[in-house]
Formats: sequence, C-alpha cells, structure tokens
Amino acid sequence: MDALEALAARLWPRSFQGAVPYLMLLPAVLVTGLLAIGLVQMADGSLRTLDTATFLPSEFYTLANFKRALTERLFFVVASRSLYGSLIVTVLTLLFAFPYSYVMVRTPSTVLRKVLLIALFLPFFIGQVVRAYGWLIILGNHGLVNEALGLVGVAPLRLLYNYPAVLFGLVQYMLPFAVLMLAPALTAIPEEIEAAAGSLGANWVKTFWYVVLPLARPGFIGAGLVVLTLSLTDFAMPAILGGGSQDFIANAIYDQFFRTSDQGMGSTLALLLVAVGSMLVGAVFALFGAGTLAMGGRK
Amino acid sequence: MSTDKLTLTSLNRRRFLATSAALGGAAGLSALGLPAVAAEPAKPKELIVRAWGGSWVDSLKAGVSDPFTKLTGIAIRHDLTEDNEIQPKLWAAAAQKRVPPIHVNWDTTTNATKSALRGVTEDLSDLANLKTVSDAAKPVGVEGYPIVNTYGYVYVLAYRPEAFPDGAPKSWNALLNPKFKGRVGLYNDGIGLHFPAEVAGGGKLDDIPGNMQPAWDFFKKLKANEPLLGEDPDLTAWFQKGEIDIACTISSNAREAKKNGISIAWVIPEEGATYETDGLWVPKYLPANELYWAKAYVNFALTKDAQQVWLDGLGLPGVAVGLTPPADLVGDPSYPVKPEDFQKLIRVSEKVQVEHESEWFGKFKEIFQG
Repeated sequence: MDALEALAARLWPRSFQGAVPYLMLLPAVLVTGLLAIGLVQMADGSLRTLDTATFLPSEFYTLANFKRALTERLFFVVASRSLYGSLIVTVLTLLFAFPYSYVMVRTPSTVLRKVLLIALFLPFFIGQVVRAYGWLIILGNHGLVNEALGLVGVAPLRLLYNYPAVLFGLVQYMLPFAVLMLAPALTAIPEEIEAAAGSLGANWVKTFWYVVLPLARPGFIGAGLVVLTLSLTDFAMPAILGGGSQDFIANAIYDQFFRTSDQGMGSTLALLLVAVGSMLVGAVFALFGAGTLAMGGRK
Repeated sequence: MSTDKLTLTSLNRRRFLATSAALGGAAGLSALGLPAVAAEPAKPKELIVRAWGGSWVDSLKAGVSDPFTKLTGIAIRHDLTEDNEIQPKLWAAAAQKRVPPIHVNWDTTTNATKSALRGVTEDLSDLANLKTVSDAAKPVGVEGYPIVNTYGYVYVLAYRPEAFPDGAPKSWNALLNPKFKGRVGLYNDGIGLHFPAEVAGGGKLDDIPGNMQPAWDFFKKLKANEPLLGEDPDLTAWFQKGEIDIACTISSNAREAKKNGISIAWVIPEEGATYETDGLWVPKYLPANELYWAKAYVNFALTKDAQQVWLDGLGLPGVAVGLTPPADLVGDPSYPVKPEDFQKLIRVSEKVQVEHESEWFGKFKEIFQG
C-alpha cells in the first residue's frame, strides 16, 4: 500500500492537486477542440468555391458562397421552413410532454409509472429512421389509418409527404427527449407546495398556473432548447416524411456535400446553421437562463 | 482542366512500371482477357467493389463478381455505400494520398466524370478488353479511360396501366394532367427529366445548356401537380404501395418492379428520353498488386459472358458486342441496340452535365421546394 501511495505521489505530486479540476475538464476540451478544428476546416472550405472544370476548391478565398446562401431563394425557403418548423415542433412537443411528465412524476400508481417509463424509453431503442418508416406504413395511402377510414366510407387521404407529416414525425420523435428534460424539474417541485396552494383556496387551474408552471420553468427551458436544436438540425424526418419537397436545412447541406459535390457551399450552409442555432440558444439563455441545462448553477 | 490528371504521365513512375510489368506476362489470366504477365502480382484476399443494392448488386455478383472469384480465387466484397456518399471519401483519401476504401467504384458516368476531372481515377486505357467492346465504353469529354462505361440505360415514363384506360401516355405532358395531382413520382434532383422537359416545355435540345428556360417552365407547371420526389427505392415503393400512377424512372427499376408483381408499364414519349451510362473506375493510391487485380476485375466485367449475365439481370444494353437481349426486352425501346433505337433517346455530354449540374439541381430544387 505504501509503495502504491509512493508511486501515486511520484506520478501526481501534492503540488499538482490544484490542477485536478482542470484535468477533469480534459475530455470536454478534447471533444470541443475536435469540434473546433472541424469548424475551422469548414470555415476554410466555406471561403472557397467549386471549380466545375476540375472539381477542386478554388485556391483563393471568396465570400461567394455566403452571398449565394443569403440571396438564393432556395436557401431562404429551406432555412425559413426549418426555423418555423422547429419552433412549431418545440411548442407542440412541450404541450404534449408536460402532462406526460406530470402524470409520470405525480402518479401514486407504481404500475402506471413503470408503464409510462417503459413507453418513454422504448422509442430510444428504435432509431429515428425506423420510426419514420413506421409512419409510412401507418399513414400511407394503403396504411392502417386509411384502411380504417375506408371502413367508414372515407376515401384515402394524403397523410404523408407534406409539411404537417414532417412536423408530426418530429413531434413524435422529440417527445421522449422533452419528457426526460421536464421530469427532473417536476420532481424537484415538492408536492407539499401544491397541497399548500390548495389548502389556501387555489383550485387546480390556479395551482397549475401560479405554482406548477413557474416552478417547472427550468424544465421547459431545458426541454425547449433540446427540442429546438434537434428539430432545427434534423435530416431524416424531412427526408422520409416530406416526399422530397419539404427539405430542412440539413437536407440542403447533404445535397451540397453529396449530390452536387460542392463542399464549399455545404460548409457555408453548415456554418450558418451553427450560427443561427447558437444565436437562438444564446437568446434563450439571455432571456430565460439555461433552465435544467444549468445543472443547478447560476440561473 | 489540367490534362495531366487524366493521363498515365501523372502516375508515380515506379508504380507505373510495376503495373505495366505486371500486365505484361502470365498465361493463367487469359480468361480475364488480360495480357500475359511475367510475374503475377500477389493476389489480395479480397477486392472491395462499391455497388448499388437490391437487384443491382445481385446481378453484378452473379455476372461478374462470382465468376471473377472462381477464376482468380480473390473474394469480392460489395460495399453498398451510396455512390454520392463514397465520393467524398475517395476524394479525401486521394487528397491525403491514402489507400482508398474501395478497389472498384461502380458509378454513374456523370459522377465518375467529376472524379476523373478531379484526377482521382486510375487510367484504364491498357485494359485488353477495351479492344473488343463498342464505342459506348469510351467516356465522352475526358481524355483516355479514367472510367469505362459498361452499359447504358434510359429514363422512361413509367405508369400504372390501370390509371391509363385509354392507352399508354404518349408525351411527358401526361405528368401535368391534374388527374394525377399528388400521384406523380420524380427523382429528387430531377435527373432524367431535365432534357425531355426542355422539349416538352417548347424548347429544343440544341438550346441545352444555354437556355434551359423551357425546362424550368415545364417544371413550374409540374409543381402544381405536387409530385413526390425520391430515389430509386422510393419510386419503386410508391408504385408498389399505390402512392403514384406515373413517374420518370430508370427502365431497369420499372422492369424489376414488374418482375416483382407490381402493375407497371413504360414508354419512351414522343419528346424522347434521357440516355445515360454507368461505368466502373479504379481510385488512385491502391498498392500496385491491388491496382492490378482491380483493373483485372474491370477488364473481366467487359467480357461478353460476364456482361450477358450481369446485364440480363438489370435488363440493360451492355458495351460488349453480340449480347443477346433478355426475352422480355426484345424490341423494347428502353433497350436500345440498333442505331435507329437511339434516335428517340437524348444524350448530353457528361462534361456539359457536370459543369451545369449544380446550377440545374439548384433550379429544380428552387422550383419544387418553393
């Protein structure tokens, strides 16, 4: 034991103790550093245009890709669709996630809680693409829903390959993430506070509005941020449920990298997406704090 | 464009000599159509060939890969990474002078031309079987043989016969019929339809690429019909699930769907149909022995026997001379054989296509995403 302690002291002298917290940051620094290196390379690529005579990036720097990204209608349409879509998905997901989380946290029934937990975690075992294909089976012209409608004499409806279908798929995909972020915030609200509000004469609606919702705010902010950023950058749902005409910005980035081989333009769009996403998150942080993402730190 | 990217002069001299020597002797490879080599290069355990999935890879396996393995003992592993997605990996490997992740790329000629222009393809001019195949094997717009075209295919107007009780559609304008609103399928980059759309939109083929406005006008009208946009598997699935009645798709996909029991037929409309080719190419920076065998694989894929089986499976006309068309495609205009068969087909130089692809793609997307 003494030998081990001596070895440990040689490897990590007492004078190094102050460095321990910094050492614990090392994994995060490594991950972020790699990300930063990638972003720097993308920034370099974004300033080079594609020469279609050689399919090589230009030797010189230019802002032409940024000019295209900010002026071409296609990119405006796709970016607007992504932004509006992610906002709608965030609001709808939070609306659905709150009652689910609340019941899961507050129910006195162990069985119900377990069922809700299983239902919450089950989707994580099924990938996004598989879930999207599941909706193709359910919502297709000959899918379960249309078959059921057919039984009551309703002609098949086009439920897929449109904007609502993409948003629907995203809400279903994001719901477990939002519940996971909301549940800890709701758990942190002591039941006694709700009981106290009731004993002071507040009905259920007033208790909910004046007690539960304000106290659950950190959960809403954390869940909202996660859902917003994941929806904004989603690829699979628009690709699979959108029928090719409801692209989000991630689909446009894919097209530039892999379809037209224009890595400079793809990098430009990716950087702009990072910038817009970061500004959105920054604005939420500035206005409302980081919510549960602050992990108990300064709100 | 720098021509040295496309010729053997850019090859490392030592590697070139080694490869030339290797290609120069050995009797046991006569079945592969290779020149004899003095000392057969060491055989790799396997070659990795990128391919499309489903019936595409099944046909390649039956016609080329399995017989090649039988002849050489070299196993063939098929990498089903999408052609668009393997491309950046190959380009990155070449830029870093790394050994590429595959030995042979089965690619569209358009995509392959981009790689050739970028200078990441080995020159295949020394393949012995090039002497035995038709001119269609030669890629247009690039020097030498950075790619070897292996067959052609046609983007047909495929339709569900039940949706056309009065007979087959005669024009691409059938896509505009409001009756098919929401029931039209197209490729999500418009591939295959740009050139017929130019004609159907009132323009002329000679206007390509200078004035594509007629094609854009046609697409704007087509947008009102809310077409579904997807890839090959999507188009087949949509036909199968009754989501669409009419589509622009590759003839072999339509034929495969028909073989699988889907009610589908196809025509070459009066405006003509796009004719394209696919090919095989070998990426740069393979070890010399692997390069030799990769070339041997491509060379073997050009033999009549290999092409007969491979392309029977796909229902496509190959570049080997004297192939027998599959019984169900004899006389089918989507299986062009004679010079007159090509009169209704539209072929635009690959060089023109790759130069304008990004612009055309952007315009197509702008119309249909707007």
